[in-house]
Amino acid sequence: MADRNDETGTRRCLVGRKLLSAAAAAALCAGAGAAVAATPKNALVMAWNVDAISTFDPAQVGEVVTNEILQNTCDTLVDFDPADERKVVPGFAERWDVSPDRKEITFHLRKGAKFPSGNPVTAEDVAWSMHRVVKLNFGNAATLTEYGFTKDNVEQTIVAGNDTLTLKLDKPYPTTLVLQAIAANRVSMVMDKKTLMANQQGTDLGNKYLATRTACVGPYKLTRWNAGESIVLEANEGYWGTAPGLKRILIRHVAEPGTQRLLLSQGDVDVARDLTPEDLKDLEGSKDVSIIKVLRPQLFYWGFNVADGPFSKEKVRLAMRYLIDYEGLGKTVMTYLGVPRASFAQLGAVGALDEKEGQPFKLDLDKAKQLLTEAGYPNGFEASVLFGTLPHANPIAQSVQQNAAKVGVKLSLERMANAQLFSKVRGREYQSAMLAWQTGVPDAHGNASRLVFNPDNRLEAKQTQYPSWRSAYQDLELNKQIDAALLEPDPAKRDALYATIQKEVMAKGPMAFMFQMNSVAGVRKDLKSWTWNGFRTYYERTAK
Amino acid sequence: MSRTAAAAPGLSSDPGRTILPSWLKASGRTLVSFAVTLLGLAALTFFIGRLLPLDPVVAVLGDNVTQEAYQAMYKQLGLDQPLYIQFGRYLWGVLHLDFGMALTTGKPVMADIARVFPATIELASVAIVIGTSLGIPLGVLSAMYRGSLVDQIVRVVGLIGYSAPNFWLGLMGLVLFYATLGWVGGPGRIDFTYEFDLEPVTGFLLIDSLLAGNWEMFGNAVSHIILPASILAFSSLAYISRMTRSFMMEQLGQEYVVTARVKGLSWARTVWGHAFRNIAVQVVTVVALSYAFLLEGAVLTETVFAWPGFGRYLTNALLAGDMNAVVGCTLLVGVIFVTLNLLCDLLYRVFDPRTR
Repeated sequence: MADRNDETGTRRCLVGRKLLSAAAAAALCAGAGAAVAATPKNALVMAWNVDAISTFDPAQVGEVVTNEILQNTCDTLVDFDPADERKVVPGFAERWDVSPDRKEITFHLRKGAKFPSGNPVTAEDVAWSMHRVVKLNFGNAATLTEYGFTKDNVEQTIVAGNDTLTLKLDKPYPTTLVLQAIAANRVSMVMDKKTLMANQQGTDLGNKYLATRTACVGPYKLTRWNAGESIVLEANEGYWGTAPGLKRILIRHVAEPGTQRLLLSQGDVDVARDLTPEDLKDLEGSKDVSIIKVLRPQLFYWGFNVADGPFSKEKVRLAMRYLIDYEGLGKTVMTYLGVPRASFAQLGAVGALDEKEGQPFKLDLDKAKQLLTEAGYPNGFEASVLFGTLPHANPIAQSVQQNAAKVGVKLSLERMANAQLFSKVRGREYQSAMLAWQTGVPDAHGNASRLVFNPDNRLEAKQTQYPSWRSAYQDLELNKQIDAALLEPDPAKRDALYATIQKEVMAKGPMAFMFQMNSVAGVRKDLKSWTWNGFRTYYERTAK
Repeated sequence: MSRTAAAAPGLSSDPGRTILPSWLKASGRTLVSFAVTLLGLAALTFFIGRLLPLDPVVAVLGDNVTQEAYQAMYKQLGLDQPLYIQFGRYLWGVLHLDFGMALTTGKPVMADIARVFPATIELASVAIVIGTSLGIPLGVLSAMYRGSLVDQIVRVVGLIGYSAPNFWLGLMGLVLFYATLGWVGGPGRIDFTYEFDLEPVTGFLLIDSLLAGNWEMFGNAVSHIILPASILAFSSLAYISRMTRSFMMEQLGQEYVVTARVKGLSWARTVWGHAFRNIAVQVVTVVALSYAFLLEGAVLTETVFAWPGFGRYLTNALLAGDMNAVVGCTLLVGVIFVTLNLLCDLLYRVFDPRTR
């Protein structure tokens, strides 16, 4: 590469970010006289690292950026209430009925809506959209198969009627959970069957077509996507709902946080989405920019492979939790980025322990030493910790490494590309790893069903979609408790069941949960009504 | 009678070599060398890519995927085939200019390269023009006035250009010229407002805006490119001026220069009219190398300036384990170097009659 010393590029990037932060801070002071640009009155301009986008197919999308864009371009059956993410409000379904045995939900769909292609939106489109998710069997299929919808039965269990759609469930799941997990999820996004089938390649149900475009109905439509450059959404003029406040949403790919900060300070963008804690701290007092954050359902954790070695012992895993400086890290590295959280159920979820009960640990070397001695490791042991490219992973891993060394545990840190990290963890080829997990449901079941429940722990079972399997962890008793909590009709009893499960998992589970992450953004003060919660950002509500 | 004398004029003395003219043989050799280089590069990159512990299936599907879906994609990507078959298929594709689909963008690698490369060519070309037009005169002046204040300044400038990291210069430049003084446009190739008014024709914004007859947009594009191009030009300038100085000093110590001066030729004419012609070949090589490095893509500069270019695309592909894109880009870099080498050879013939 033309930039010299690129072999140290990663390190330089980090150093560069700090330097850029400092430089940008200087510019804020020195540049008072500089002309400030303005973004177009009818558009929201955002700087965001959108490198992760590789498709717009709701059946395949699995990361935050594309999910947010899809949520603003493709309606789901119901939507998360902007004010309280635990509640759902009507979406493309204006109302729904539930059968007395809770095993059938009938959605009454809006009439007269049209796709941007001009095709009318029918109940058949809605049913077909959900069928294709199961049939294509990408990662998101699990969202439906978890509730009993399979390739073999999906056409009989998700049925289109006369402007209605009926979900036939195999068990009496809590209705709110089904609404949150399925009806508000991207798996129920309403796709344009006619367009997709006309552009089908082989039997891909339009998957390749959706690699670079959308075909659905929502407040905005995707009009341009240049990978690694920019995304343009334009208001969908024939939209059935309220017209969006702004005509265009312009997202420019800016990978460097310091550059985002400069653009935001200069008024060249309205919102910057990837600012560093240093930038956020400096901007906190700005007269032009507000710092806005909201908890999201993503947990950053230290996961252990419990198949063998020291981490197979419960007391060792518990000892590791006492090596995490929740408080110190929370006030330094994780300021703005997240809050300490040791429970698998995220704050804000139905059934989650409160802040205090859900984070009972603190850095306690004596306690860790005592637990290690009881586990048969009085002199510690050696182990490796893998982590990826998340900016906070490295300082957290280093902090844990330093604390561990004080009790004789020698941790070797290995940083690698995320694809490599996932590959190793999915193959159980690791001792311990730090990574993140995000659920799509504001309910304790969302994480309990994946992070704790493990249907089959055999190596050859390859239940790779379950992080619990990746940790080689299976507790049949906990499996039963999770099943029981899921189907418990009484909300208070259900909460109590989840409380027990969370406490048990905090003591012996295969993951030391460390932080629940925030979504943070720098927003220009002349932008009004920036609305978001942990599950959705509502572009259509913004105005100028 | 010697063999040479017996040979017909213009033909080789070797009977086996008399059929083809020398230019054709040279071209053939060049083409073979070109093909072998690219084949070697493709093989090396392809096999290294397969050996790296990066999982292309995870790059496509993410890590939250069932084993069944994983296996299906594994097969779809052809990863279940022996390596030599995968390589054979890949080469067949390359011969048809098909580098496969980029896993991270969902588009053909060729389409991606066609989209990002103009941004890099535009930036590199402006940078090399600035770097060359300043670097050569400064290098010559520095040699002419060796030890003087001018020489010292040029050397210090060269040293800074060499040693200051481009990303640091970039961010300082942004803070000073964009955020504080407001003299230049910010990160990106053009203001967002203009992006929608421009229908891409060549992919080069400076040219497309001129073709559209939109001077305001052209001015905006210039204001965006001038800073990153100047930053990149600075390091090229440093390299070019130092090498030019060195070549020129060697020439100025030659007897023909003293003779020219003794015959009454002015200092400037001696240097530019005689000595410079003798170093032109070397300078061309230096400039070509500089340009090749710039075309490879200045990753950090592109990142700081949010410049959607080739270097950033390649780096992202590498980090995401998108080996189709990585191999495609590496081949392109190979083509750039080989092509610039060929161009250098041609220019040698222009500048140096002995090579004709």
